[in-house]
Amino acid sequence: MTILGNDILRKEAWNKVDGTAKYNIDEDVKSILHAKMLTSTYAHAEILSVDVTEALKEEGVKSILTGKDCNLLFGDFIDDRPSLATDRVRYYGEPVALVVADCEQTAHRAVNMIRVDYRKLPAVNSVSDALKEGAPLIHENLMSYNLKSKYVYPQRNSNIFHVVKIRKGDMNAGWNKSKVVVEGSFRLPQADHAAMEVRNARAEILSDGTVIINTSTQAPFNIKENLSKYFKIDEGKIVVHTPLVGGAFGGKAAVYLEILAYLASRSVGGRPVKVSDSREEDICSAPCKMGLEAKIKLGADDSGIIKAAEMTFLIDGGAYSTISCRLAKAIAVDCSGPYNIDNLQCDCLGVYTNHTYSTSFRGFSHAEHAFCMERMMDKLALKLGLDPLEIRSRNAVSTGHSSPTQVKITRSNTGDLTACIEKLKTIIDWDEGNKIELGNGKVRTKGVGCFWKTSDSPTDAASGVLLTFNSDGSININCGVVEIGSGSKTVLAQIIAERLKMPLSKINVSMNVNTQTSPLHWKTVASMSTYMAGNAALRAADDLIMQLKTAGASIIKCSTEALDVADMRVYLKEDPAIYVHFRDIVHGIKDTNGNATQGHIFGRGSYIMSRLTELAQETGTGKAGSSWTLGAQAVEIEFDRTDYTYRFVRAAAVIDMGRTLNPKTAKGLIMGGMNMGLGLGSREEFLYGEDGVMKSTSFRTYKMMRYGENPEYIVDFVETPDLSAPFGARGMAEHGIIGIPGALGNAISLAVDTDIDMLPSTPEYIWNKVRSLK
Amino acid sequence: MIPFKFEYYKPDTLKEAFDLYDYIKGQGKTPLYYGGGSEIITMSRANNLHMDAVIDLKGIPECCRIEMLDNKLIIGSAVTLSQISESGLFPLLGQTAARIADHTVQCRLTIGGNICGTIIYKETLLPLMICESRAVIYGKNGKREVQINQIFDKKLRLMPGEILSEIITDSNYLSFPYVHVKKTKSDKIAYPLLTVAAIKKDNNIKIAFSGLENHPFRSREIESFINGENMSDDDKINRIIGFQQSKVLDDAEGSSCYRTFVLKNTLENTLKMLEKVK
Repeated sequence: MTILGNDILRKEAWNKVDGTAKYNIDEDVKSILHAKMLTSTYAHAEILSVDVTEALKEEGVKSILTGKDCNLLFGDFIDDRPSLATDRVRYYGEPVALVVADCEQTAHRAVNMIRVDYRKLPAVNSVSDALKEGAPLIHENLMSYNLKSKYVYPQRNSNIFHVVKIRKGDMNAGWNKSKVVVEGSFRLPQADHAAMEVRNARAEILSDGTVIINTSTQAPFNIKENLSKYFKIDEGKIVVHTPLVGGAFGGKAAVYLEILAYLASRSVGGRPVKVSDSREEDICSAPCKMGLEAKIKLGADDSGIIKAAEMTFLIDGGAYSTISCRLAKAIAVDCSGPYNIDNLQCDCLGVYTNHTYSTSFRGFSHAEHAFCMERMMDKLALKLGLDPLEIRSRNAVSTGHSSPTQVKITRSNTGDLTACIEKLKTIIDWDEGNKIELGNGKVRTKGVGCFWKTSDSPTDAASGVLLTFNSDGSININCGVVEIGSGSKTVLAQIIAERLKMPLSKINVSMNVNTQTSPLHWKTVASMSTYMAGNAALRAADDLIMQLKTAGASIIKCSTEALDVADMRVYLKEDPAIYVHFRDIVHGIKDTNGNATQGHIFGRGSYIMSRLTELAQETGTGKAGSSWTLGAQAVEIEFDRTDYTYRFVRAAAVIDMGRTLNPKTAKGLIMGGMNMGLGLGSREEFLYGEDGVMKSTSFRTYKMMRYGENPEYIVDFVETPDLSAPFGARGMAEHGIIGIPGALGNAISLAVDTDIDMLPSTPEYIWNKVRSLK
Repeated sequence: MIPFKFEYYKPDTLKEAFDLYDYIKGQGKTPLYYGGGSEIITMSRANNLHMDAVIDLKGIPECCRIEMLDNKLIIGSAVTLSQISESGLFPLLGQTAARIADHTVQCRLTIGGNICGTIIYKETLLPLMICESRAVIYGKNGKREVQINQIFDKKLRLMPGEILSEIITDSNYLSFPYVHVKKTKSDKIAYPLLTVAAIKKDNNIKIAFSGLENHPFRSREIESFINGENMSDDDKINRIIGFQQSKVLDDAEGSSCYRTFVLKNTLENTLKMLEKVK
């Protein structure tokens, strides 16, 4: 069979190409009402009054909600966020009121008629400001909030909502063995997911109490569970539908508009209501990519082997904590980067500021961490006069080492960084040198960055797959994975086809998720769809095979052991000419006289993450993911020293995929990640004024990579199987982004002989940095 | 989506448009002339603009023409930036237009809109300023023709209801050696940190800038520095910087310090390029 390892067109490809594919925002629902938000114009202010009198008079307005209409607080680990601000706004763009009207225009007009009186409060505009003595407390009631996990540690009288600590080895011994020490401070801004489909949701409450939510989300099951828990609705009475999602990148993992849509529908007797972000709201009101400030100190011996590392990471979680507790954990868990560090101390703090609140973003805090760590590796190499890739090879994590949280490293659970580095050297022509003068002030430089990442899922993350047959013997896959553009549902079809040795064209995939009928899938996040749902799919396929053999055995009159399955037939191993076709057994077996026996055959498979643990509070010991995916990346730029501008020439990635199931799709995903990484590295950032008011609320001021500015992308693979994964395949959907900002920072630092330790690296920033050191 | 209701008119003549404006205004309403609409639409949906009526100029023949007539290039105010660059009639203006926004937007943006809108950069004005172009204005007494350099002072000084209908440029200006440089914060398609347009006429350099102040400008002083005799390029540039420095824009696209650095750099390149062009 040749289904795995081949370039397979996505099942939904043609529908996406010709525009017939439907996203949630495309659906027009007859007589639906529209809800529109009024958002805060201050970063931090007390709400003195909200006057909706005039707005309510506007013809077509059905209801207006304010914070008073729902006193619940929401959150992932700490319940700290109101659906609509009540007595205080904590960031610019925070929803304050919601107008429900018979059309979007009316809702918008009415929003303009609401009068809010604010009393401005001093805004906390950075994590370092948030930690200063006497900083305004953004959540005065932090210690009385409901914690949803006992592994979350908010700090009294502070803006710190979570702390993760890593303590490994003996720091004194490590520093004693260190002949050189390098230090660095880093700052990275928040940024936007910028998915093409803005966040949007519809809600309707039927007269029997059933709540129907249609939403563009990565977490339909989580929405169901959350609505049930907060609003005390039977879980079975909530149905969440999610069709194809038009881009998510982590930004649609949070429960956000669904709550507002539900409240809006409830306020108008359950009528269907649609709420959709404008692009501006999607940037400044909806949760974003975290910001980060970090300090790292590395000690190494003469040969560049790291002996000690001390790190502090301050995560800009913005106004509400949501998933940032886990973002902090994710940095801590992988804080060494893909390197072995025996003596290691890391403090990772989740900090409130008066910024837009942060959520997951492609790479789940690894791209931010890797920027800092990979800059440190280059600093160390420079100080020791070592080749940047050589120092990375020497420190590469491998069998016999242990991770920062003291998980034993095996070949299976990590892969082979050295092999990735060797391959990278070839494809990026490393031997020609990493700095080539071109004359006229121009220089071509190459920077590198390595990464590793594990899943950081909950310890009980689960997935499931249901397989049903059509009467012709073809199969339908039903699973809770949302198709967010990674092609993972096509990969699931490949896995089923491979296991059943049948044509891929006979495997159909339901692209829509319906929480009432699809088996539970934790969330479509963390690059875990192929791993989790793939394992479930294998079990479901095995379940089918067993039933097919039983049915076949009753017709062929033999034992099930004598049979095998291929080409939609159950056949006798010793003589494949003796067989029964799937179509004759999958919907029951019928005798010539009409008697039917057996029933129709369907397969089920489930999977749950195993042997994961929470981290110990004082040392961080514990297991956060089943395995890692690692890789090595490079960025080549042409830098103009006369005006500090640069252009991308090439960007390369070699990733240990375990097993490459669909190479072209995989390359596309990795290139997409690399492109985002270049965007973050070179231009993307949330700009806040001194008062904490966001300045970059549209694509005029929020800059992104444009088509044509991209370099030539080169993607290659190493294959060290993960023995716990389907066919050995490691997660890789996010990973293309991780090493790129660091590699770019290294290339620029090399070009200007100056440490570039902040993002984004705009020409002005580089110019300023070079100038300040002259 | 624009939250408020407004009227839409598409007159056939300048007179109709002008009278309509007057009439709507007389009713106590706010009319706006409408070219490509990109600014009106984006600002209206963001609550930054309100009008009761728009008067679309794209039905008026004068506003839509682009042609050479008696050694003059005539460009109607509703001609789009992509039409200008694709026509190839005014290479410097075409190059300038092709670096404003992206191609999709260039197919909507009109030269009249770029000049009369609220955007501070108005880059299409740079070639018009240095090529001594004239504006045809329709007003109470019909058409009049005025030097762009006279009527533009930080903004186009029009009387209420007056319409910029055409822009006229003498054809000899279209073939002078020129330089256009646009510098941005990071990406190619963005507002300018600095856009410079310059031509060389009989060894005399004419130069205009956008992005340095909150409006485009051509400065007699700067041109006198540039055309000063017996001065090295470095001296010229230092004098220009000294003259301009205190007025340089400071915003999210770039600090005034950085813009000044970019100005210095760009002037060096511009002068070098102008030396080369014959």
